[in-house]
Amino acid sequence: MSFEPKILGIACNWCTYTGADLAGTTRLQYPTNVRVVRVMCSSRINPSFIFRALQFGADGVLVGGCHPGDCHYNTGNLYARRRLATTKKILEFAGIEPGRFRVEWISASEGNRFAEVIEEFTTQIKNLGPQTKMKIQE
Amino acid sequence: MLKKTAIEKIPELAAALMDKGSLLAPVKEASGHNFAEIKDPQKVDLNFYNTILSPKGAFFPHKEDFVKYNTGKPVSEAEEVAMDPKPVFLFGVRPCDVKSFSIMDIHFNAAGIIDPYWSQRRKAATIFGYAFDLNKPVDAADFYNSLGIYAADTEGSDVFMVKTDKDLLLKSITPKGEELLAGLNTLVDAGAVDEKYFEETLKKGKEYKTRFQCIDQDVVAKKLEAIFNNTDFWTKVSSACLSCGICTFVCPNCYCFDICDDTMFSKGTRRRVWDACMFTDFTLEASGHNPRTQVFQRLRQKINHKYSYHVKKYGVISCVGCGRCTRSCPVNIDIYSIVEEAQKV
Amino acid sequence: MTDFKKIEENLKKEAKRLLESGEVAVVLAYGKGFDEQHPMPYAAKSVADVENIVFNEYCTHNMARYLVRYPQGTKIAIAVKPADSRAVVQLIQEEKVKRENMVLLGIPVSGMKNAKTGEAIDSQTTCGMVNPVLYDVLLGEEIHGQKAASPYDVLAKYEAMDHEARWEFWKSQLDKCIRCYACRKACPMCYCDPCFIDQLKPKWADKAPQSPGNMMYHLTRFQHLAGRCIDCGECSRACPVDIPLYLFHKKVAKECEEMFKQASGMSIEDKPVLVNFRVEDSDKILE
Repeated sequence: MSFEPKILGIACNWCTYTGADLAGTTRLQYPTNVRVVRVMCSSRINPSFIFRALQFGADGVLVGGCHPGDCHYNTGNLYARRRLATTKKILEFAGIEPGRFRVEWISASEGNRFAEVIEEFTTQIKNLGPQTKMKIQE
Repeated sequence: MLKKTAIEKIPELAAALMDKGSLLAPVKEASGHNFAEIKDPQKVDLNFYNTILSPKGAFFPHKEDFVKYNTGKPVSEAEEVAMDPKPVFLFGVRPCDVKSFSIMDIHFNAAGIIDPYWSQRRKAATIFGYAFDLNKPVDAADFYNSLGIYAADTEGSDVFMVKTDKDLLLKSITPKGEELLAGLNTLVDAGAVDEKYFEETLKKGKEYKTRFQCIDQDVVAKKLEAIFNNTDFWTKVSSACLSCGICTFVCPNCYCFDICDDTMFSKGTRRRVWDACMFTDFTLEASGHNPRTQVFQRLRQKINHKYSYHVKKYGVISCVGCGRCTRSCPVNIDIYSIVEEAQKV
Repeated sequence: MTDFKKIEENLKKEAKRLLESGEVAVVLAYGKGFDEQHPMPYAAKSVADVENIVFNEYCTHNMARYLVRYPQGTKIAIAVKPADSRAVVQLIQEEKVKRENMVLLGIPVSGMKNAKTGEAIDSQTTCGMVNPVLYDVLLGEEIHGQKAASPYDVLAKYEAMDHEARWEFWKSQLDKCIRCYACRKACPMCYCDPCFIDQLKPKWADKAPQSPGNMMYHLTRFQHLAGRCIDCGECSRACPVDIPLYLFHKKVAKECEEMFKQASGMSIEDKPVLVNFRVEDSDKILE
């Protein structure tokens, strides 16, 4: 049985989540490994969510938000960009493979892009293998 | 009986003890020495002044799991974590730390409910006390003389050890110690010269001086009670205190703990972990009220508990003057100095 | 060679002047401990207190830690070494204290020593700066001409490690943690009440001194201090089990400086990097 990663996806309501809906209504096929959680804005994301997700066994975490400049709340994703960039650096310095955490800007009209990113990221995580470093071992 | 072993042969003694049970001895770590379970007899290191953390962890571990459960399943299916009944050898415990065990016994092994975890570990343990090196200078932070403890006190140990230039002398103090020593083949009988050295060391230990102030525990306890409301004094002595909790964790006599149910998804463990009255949320109540929000209140509590309330309730100061709190404090607070200053208020 | 005696003299002089005139209510400096190698943080509140003030190479504590204990509006004079002055600047940026309520007694200094190890403290474990970045009064001569080593040189060895080696290193270091929280309490920037680790709703980590709780606590703390840590090294000196926290904080500080072109605690006009953004921020930082 080949490895099927469990990936946490956090999508902002106005852009990425809507983009995901669009991917759905246009019947695009993409891997089912990403469990999507909706937040109102990417700046809602507390970096501790990422750490916690990895501890709970996520093999990868994918964050999706509006393109910088297009945030529904004007500036949310601009803060999120800075914040999540530091989170990425922290995970990397701790020794977690950098490919496991990814931030993408996906707009509401980019259904194709959503499916593409999911496809790419899932393949990447498949190649990296199961995440065992931070996962809490029972 | 008095036995001995050459210092180079201590690993052999360690291996012999490891055969009989668990050996907890000082090992050298990056930050200093600490008691650890020995897996490699070569790691036992008796060249230390005192460990950073006290040996109370042998009987009262920092984290202790009690019950494993599944939420959603009946309580009867919860599993008690079994205690390891192996004998334990606590090797290289300084006299002040040995004394601390009998003070801790008051809380865990007497006075009403017996703590089965502490008392079982205590029963299974053989304590190898270890005299301070009288040829080396005393550490400036120690003050165990003030608490009536001396550098080579044998009280409380099952076996007491004294190091010479070439050998480690081991004397049985209790029947348990005697039986154990008799069964250790790596040891040889000590001669008359060694006997003399040993007895002299015990005597010299009484003259080996630490910082000293006469602490009449009833006088000290009453004085602390009297100055309880002297906020100026307590604010002054606590102005540097970070209220971190290190002093509590390194202290051989601090015994507060927290019981936690740590559940993840549907599996969980009920455990106890060390708690500290210095933590800001130590007295945080479910209502949200916290009677000790200020640092001075918490430091006052710590000192009063050890030197006043404990005396009134149990007749003994909850401190053995080991100096660890002073050595480990990030801002160099010295409990001895505070008690001294309090007397002068 | 820093003249510690002279600085102590000047410190006492200034403290006396400020307290006598009533310009400040308290002077945060250093006082005698139980021996010379163990001075303590000291708050002088009256002219009589001034004679207890000392200053020597073991006065490594960051007095900015105590600023948030005083009610807002208290006029405070504080003795600041270079990193400490950055801490005060950062607190001003975060609006925890106001510039007009502070009198900064700047101490240019090189040659501080770690009392636990006896080693000299330099840019390997702290920011390595020798002159305060902000001061009202300078208590000694500004130090010029010293070759400034980068505070990030010490990271090279760890940046060169591969991910496996790095994880091994950090896991073994952070597993030593006994959750005494001295790092948090020693840090001038950790003033949150309640701290995330003490919260039960949600419970971010359990209390047991082991991973995963240790990992969660430290990684989150590194994140919370991103762009705020001023590299004073107090957290690492406070740690009873010698975890090299300063390494991780330095790495995060280095990345923030590179990504956002701003170092923490340098100017009171700056906004802390994570509560700010620039139009020029590039998506490259997410790669």
